[in-house]
Amino acid sequence: MRSSEGVPAMDRSSNEREELISRAFVTLADTLVDDYDVIDLLDRLVGFCVELLPAEAAGIVLGDARRELRAVAASDEAAQVVELLQLQADEGPCLDCFQTATPVIVADLSAAIDRWPMFVPAVEQRTHFRSVHALPLRLRGRAIGALNLFGAIPAALPQLDLALGQALADVATIGILQERAIRRGDVLSEQLQVALNSRVVIEQAKGALAQHGGLSTEKAFERLRQYARSHELRLSELARRVAEKEFDLAEILPPARQTRP
Amino acid sequence: MADLGVVTKALLAIARDTIDDRALAMRICRACVDGLDVDGAAISLLTAGAARQTLAATDAVAELLEDLQFTFNEGACMEAARTGNPVLVGDLRHSGEVERWPMFAAAVLERSAVRAVFALPLQWGAVNLGVLDLYRLQPGALDDGQLRDAIAAADAAALMMLGLRTDPDRGGVDWLDDAVAHRAEIHQAAGMVSVQLDVTTAEALARMRAHAFVHDRLLVDVARDVVARRLMFTEDWEQ
Repeated sequence: MRSSEGVPAMDRSSNEREELISRAFVTLADTLVDDYDVIDLLDRLVGFCVELLPAEAAGIVLGDARRELRAVAASDEAAQVVELLQLQADEGPCLDCFQTATPVIVADLSAAIDRWPMFVPAVEQRTHFRSVHALPLRLRGRAIGALNLFGAIPAALPQLDLALGQALADVATIGILQERAIRRGDVLSEQLQVALNSRVVIEQAKGALAQHGGLSTEKAFERLRQYARSHELRLSELARRVAEKEFDLAEILPPARQTRP
Repeated sequence: MADLGVVTKALLAIARDTIDDRALAMRICRACVDGLDVDGAAISLLTAGAARQTLAATDAVAELLEDLQFTFNEGACMEAARTGNPVLVGDLRHSGEVERWPMFAAAVLERSAVRAVFALPLQWGAVNLGVLDLYRLQPGALDDGQLRDAIAAADAAALMMLGLRTDPDRGGVDWLDDAVAHRAEIHQAAGMVSVQLDVTTAEALARMRAHAFVHDRLLVDVARDVVARRLMFTEDWEQ
């Protein structure tokens, strides 16, 4: 049963929802095969967060080798969501969640202005988000990053949704650190670094494609993702080839009409 | 900045303007030897290409390791450059990793007393700038704190090599403002400019830096203008 905050996602019957949830986890498990692409996994995962939870946007931040937070995935590539994630390198629910390795629930952002005097006004000015949840990517009592959920109405997530959100965050942890490495008890910094660098490659490729096709970087990402999925290519690998000019961009997107004089 | 390791701190204290690339590479290597449990370090550039060169090596053994990789065209450092991932081998005698570069591993054990090698790519997205190679005579992995420091140092070194400090002297030796260095707009803009000029992403970044410097602007602001299509680079933009 769902609580009744009146978010459209909740109109679905509980059967339908159960089915969606199990399909999500099957898809994620399918993604976690040998040699999977971490960026692709995280991208699907934030998509499921928005689909399954009463959240308007979702994003994942990871701590780098200096334990500074950096954004690695966002359900909406619009700059504002990514920026909200990145802003939290200095303050915000994600940073608190990351440092304490416990969930941070902000049912009503406007009541939290004293706690985060920079973050809260930034959210209010740029977006219509009213609530924020930050769930830790947990490993052995520590956090390697956080899953951020932004809601359009001031409300705390019901307990069941919170548990589902945490389960998705746990899948993210496994995906980033690779299950085998976790079992071996290996050091994690290198996997984190690899995931973070893959994100930089994606941004470079988005730029190249956006320029080539004359569209926004969000749209460019959409096309990149579509192409990778329909051709069964790894998203990071395709992005690397695009950024290194080893790939004919016209395959993915017809070139924009020249505007240069 | 939270949790800075000793090597990362040492790197951030280096004043860029006073030294050239070789001197900078040597300072980075020395900082690693001083701050980490390793015996020597080297930095090689363009490790996967034909024009590769060793920029700095703290001693003859470190130099030998670089030479062996270039000779056999295989090794931990070449793998790190090719994959963009760190290659960490705590014990050359007992590791499955060496199967990927058997000639290099055999030659190292035969010609030196080196037992552990750690190769950290100097990576900026798809761009590999080179590799920071560390070695130790005693076998054993780097502990978690040291590995984090080494990775953060390689990250810092990569940005230093790229010369990301474009803020034209607004006081202080502020190499790496993390919040700025990792902004998505900078990476996106570099991708856009690389298509505008038909150059590599690294060169596109260099052109953006030059523009920022000449116009006394911050790199991140130039990047925002590129992404918003308020600024377009053309072959003759400098005139």
